[in-house]
Amino acid sequence: MNEQRRQILQMLSEGKITADEAERLIDAVEREQPESPPGAAPRPKPRPKYLRVVVSSPDNFGGDGPGQVNVRVPLQLLRAGVRLTSLIPPQALSQVNVELNKSGVPIDLTQLKPQHIEELIEQLDDVTVDVDQPEARVQVFCE
Amino acid sequence: MIPQLVAVRHRRTNGRWLRLYIPVLPVLLVLSPVLVLAVLAGLVACVLTRISPVGALRGTGQLLCALPGTRIEVQQGRTALLISVH
Repeated sequence: MNEQRRQILQMLSEGKITADEAERLIDAVEREQPESPPGAAPRPKPRPKYLRVVVSSPDNFGGDGPGQVNVRVPLQLLRAGVRLTSLIPPQALSQVNVELNKSGVPIDLTQLKPQHIEELIEQLDDVTVDVDQPEARVQVFCE
Repeated sequence: MIPQLVAVRHRRTNGRWLRLYIPVLPVLLVLSPVLVLAVLAGLVACVLTRISPVGALRGTGQLLCALPGTRIEVQQGRTALLISVH
């Protein structure tokens, strides 16, 4: 993410501008980005470092005013967490499997290897989830 | 690199900000006697639950080292809580 966009989000988080104003500013910044010259080799896309979750609800729940949640988690933290799950003993995994089966989720966690989860996190780079509803907006993406 | 500084900012309903900057290393040094006991208790728990103590220590270290850059912001009306790890 470039510095201008970060500043806009910072102003938004500090309440200096509204979400609509932030959106307009980000659009303007994106329009100002210079196009790469034709024929030039495309630059490799920088690898995302963070997973962002942004939730904004413009509604005035409980009279407290609009709410906003903005979480930025390093992808490295996800990888470290995944490595920790590989320490779970097999007995515990089989118990979890039984409970999952009871709940109608027939997933065998013993078949899920750490390298599979690593690959899953690697592919998270391209994941973008946008949920737009009148009362709330949820965005999950990597940057 | 383990986290150096944890910044906690809280905006109260009256609009005033409470800012806390916690230097991690000095706090860890102050709490080191308690931490040693906690690590020992953790190692015993690992042995009892048949989890590799070395793997658990390594995993915890990796988790700590990956923390810098984490930022959590929650705002509701006039109140807000911002936590960032540097």
